[in-house]
Formats: sequence, C-alpha cells, structure tokens
Amino acid sequence: MTFNTWLKTITFYEILVGMKATMSHMLHYRPVTEQYPHEKRTLPDNYRGMLALLRYDDGTEKCVGCDLCEAACPSRVIRVVSAEVPGEPTKRYSKEYYMDMTRCLFCGLCVDACPVDALGMTREFEWSVYDKRQLHLNKEQLLAIGDRSFPVREKQLELQHPNVAFFNVAFKHLPQKPG
Amino acid sequence: MTELSLRLAVSFAQILAEMSIVMITVATLTYFERKVLGWMQDRMGPMEVGPYGLLQPVADGIKLFFKEDIVPAGANKAMFALAPMLTMVVSMIGFAVIPFGPNLTLDIYGMTIKPFVVADINIGILYILAIASIGAYGIILGGWASNSKYSLLGGLRAAAQVISYELNVGLALVGVLMLAGTMSLVEITEAQSGGFWHWFIWGGRPDGFFPIHTQIFAFVVFVISAVAETNRIPFDLPEAESELVAGFFTEYSGMRFAFFVSAEYANMMLVSCVASALFLGGWNAPYPGTIFEYVGLEQLAWIEHIVWFAAKVYFFLFMFIWIRATLPRLRYDQLMRFGWKVMLPIALANIIVTSFTLYFFPR
Repeated sequence: MTFNTWLKTITFYEILVGMKATMSHMLHYRPVTEQYPHEKRTLPDNYRGMLALLRYDDGTEKCVGCDLCEAACPSRVIRVVSAEVPGEPTKRYSKEYYMDMTRCLFCGLCVDACPVDALGMTREFEWSVYDKRQLHLNKEQLLAIGDRSFPVREKQLELQHPNVAFFNVAFKHLPQKPG
Repeated sequence: MTELSLRLAVSFAQILAEMSIVMITVATLTYFERKVLGWMQDRMGPMEVGPYGLLQPVADGIKLFFKEDIVPAGANKAMFALAPMLTMVVSMIGFAVIPFGPNLTLDIYGMTIKPFVVADINIGILYILAIASIGAYGIILGGWASNSKYSLLGGLRAAAQVISYELNVGLALVGVLMLAGTMSLVEITEAQSGGFWHWFIWGGRPDGFFPIHTQIFAFVVFVISAVAETNRIPFDLPEAESELVAGFFTEYSGMRFAFFVSAEYANMMLVSCVASALFLGGWNAPYPGTIFEYVGLEQLAWIEHIVWFAAKVYFFLFMFIWIRATLPRLRYDQLMRFGWKVMLPIALANIIVTSFTLYFFPR
C-alpha cells in the first residue's frame, strides 16, 4: 500500500468524492420529475393513443364492415359484425363493432389495415377505470371518442378531390400539434 | 408534600416539553429526509399534501393511525406488542439527560430546577449507553416475535450489529470522559466553553492552542458507529429492503410500524445530540461567550445557546441524510470486519494515546 492510497483510506477520500457529487446535485437542483396530474408532458406527433371510429363530415360512419382490422389485429381486440345497408344491397356497414381495450397493445395495425380510414388513433391515454368491463367498448362509444377527438372531418369519399379520392388518402384526421 | 407534588409537576412539564420537541423534530425529520434525499437525487420529494408537501408528516400520521393492525398468525402476541413500545419508549427516555440549553438554574418556591435538562444525573453517559443497549432488545424481540423468516434474519443481524458497534461507541466516549473528568453531560458540555478550540474534538488545553488531546479519531469512530447503531444506510442491514423486505419490522403495520420508524428517527436525534454535546461543545458557541452578552442582554443568552445546539444537531442529522443519499449498503462481512478490525482498534488506541497525553500534559 503506497502512502497515497493509505492517505486516501484514512481520510475517506472516495466517500467524500461521492458526497461532493450528491451535494452538487442538491445545490444545482434541477428535478427531472413531472408533476403528472398538474403538468402533462408534450406528446410526440405520432403518439398512438386510444382507438376511435370516425365519421364523414355529414355524420355517416366511414366503416364499411370489411373485417380487415379484425384480421390485422395481433391481440384479437376487435370484433366486427358486418351487415348489408338496408335497401342498398351493394353497400355494407358494421352492424356491431366491439373493442376490448384491455388487450390492445396500441400497435396501430388496424389503422393501417383500414381501406377507408375509418379508424383513428387519438391522443387520449387517461383511460384507467375501476371496472375493466368498462374498457370493453361498443360502436357508439368508439364513435363518441372519434367525435370528440377529431372535430374536423373529411368529406364523403366521392365529394373529395378526385386525386385524393382515388388513393383514398386523407391527412386531416391526423393529430395536430397542440397549441 | 406540597414541595414533592410541585417538583413532580415541574418534572412532568419538562418531560412533556422534551417529548413534544422530540416528536415534532421526528415529524420534521421524516419530511426533511424525503425532501433532501429527493433533491440530492434530482427528484422533488413529497409535493402533493400542502404547499411543497409540508403537511406530508401529518398525512402520514393520520394514515398510519387508521391503518389495520395486523398480527401475523403464529406470532407471539405479547412480545409482538411489546417490541415497538420498548423501542419507542427507550428512544424517548434517552433524551432525559441531554442538555438542550445552558446550565441555568431557576428558583421557584425554594426549589432549584434546571430548565434545559430534564435530569442532570452524574452518570449521564452510562445512562445513555444503557438505554441504547435496551433499544436493541426491541429490535431483536420484534424480529423474533413476528414468526417470519425475514424478520428473524433482520433481528439476528440487528443483534450482532448493534452489539458490536455499541462497543465502539462506548470506547470512543472514554477519551472524552478522561478529558472532562465527569460523566454528566451538562458538566462535559460546560468544560468545553470558550470557543471552538476548547471543544473535545480538538481537546485544546486552556494554556495553549496546540490540540494535543485531540479526540478527532474518537469523533469519527463515534459518528460511524452511531450511524451503524441507528441502523441507517450504509449500515442498514437489519432492515435491508432489497434483501429482507423490511427486516425486523416486515410484519408490522399501522401505529406499531410508526413506532419503529419514529424510534429510528428519535435514535438518530439522540446520537446527534450526544455527538454534539460530547465533541462539538453542545450549547457553546464556536466563539467565547455569546453575542447577546456582548450587546448587554445577558438574560437572553440562552436563546443563542439553544440555537447553537440545534444547529449542531441539525448538522449531524443532515449528514446522516447526506450519507444515506451517497452510499450503498455494506455487505455483512464487510460490516463486521469494519467494526471489529478497524473501528475497535482505533477506539482502543485513542484511549491509550489520550491517557498518555493526559498524564504528561494534564489539563
């Protein structure tokens, strides 16, 4: 043991270095805490939150009951009961639409799979409930989420610009930056 | 008869005042520790209850008071109930001999009372050592009576640790006893009056400033052993939460748990008081006399003395928290080796060296 290490041992040099580090953190106090219910962090632009069913601007549902979302879902969250639109044998709609959000892993594959952009991911995430049955959502609830999260809606497909309508691409329902 | 009852009433008032001071400080400490720990770790600490979380101790007290009191199946009920009470009472009565302020005497109806110390007994240090040893019984009993593996292991560790470090505490104090020539904490503190170079950490002689009787090694041994004796990090093996859930109070809940925790904080305070009274001059200011005396307010000098005592105690308490924020827990064999092979020889050598210096250079 050299003299230097001996000196460091009896003066608790390494412990003092550590104590200096903690003290400097206290003196330069910059907490990383976010006081969550009082202050909320800015969500990223591509945040994938609660799922919602969307409507056109005239109030008709976009969903055509094609079941592709159900096929795409890896966790079997979605159940679609498809039916003909009464009186219009060429058109279909989803008679019933259920999502079991307890199983959802928010991958967004259903949104990608939807050919008519009837599904959207909102920026809602505060969905803790006391009874998990409340997370088994039906069509009305999903439409309500869509209504309150996407107040700006697209026109009917045939009323959109022909180029956009051809590819069926619309951007307005994407979440906008806050503020 | 009247004098006896009057004396009793005065003693009760003193005990009540002392206990309320201790309990208020314990409540403050729980808040202070969480805050300081948070600041040192780039967190905020409690922020929800009241402004800046100031009412957190009150909320914690109410919560613990109304929690369910669970006694585990197979526990020895009497011992299980006795352990937290024993720990709490013992940590409280240790403060009886601590001088919180100067050695004033008041004369009321022919009685002489000392307002700042509950009992100025002439074996103060022995009393504190004895009381601290009884405190270990509470921990061991609590660990044994819970009928739980974790509690038993915590209790066993506490037994070994507290006893081995208690020894170092006792030996570290011997040098101070030799310097002061008394065991009364009041007289020891009085012997250190007149500036910081008279404090026993330097052990300065009245005729010269060269610190030949320095007790700084005893001071370091005492502080480290005090941390170990109060089961604080880095010596918190009896309640190592990552190994033993919560150690000896794993099975305790509600008010009994609160008793154990507040006893731990009160013990912290007790060893801080002892350290500042024995090594850092207790109520004495680091300069001769007091400022109040210089400006001609002798009757208010006790305020300054109490402020200095509180400042020293809070310095130690802050250091306890600071060490907790810095260091990880020791391994068990490291703890034992450090206690027996490092601390004990230093404490013994300090006794021998101090006795030699005192023989050749008497105070």
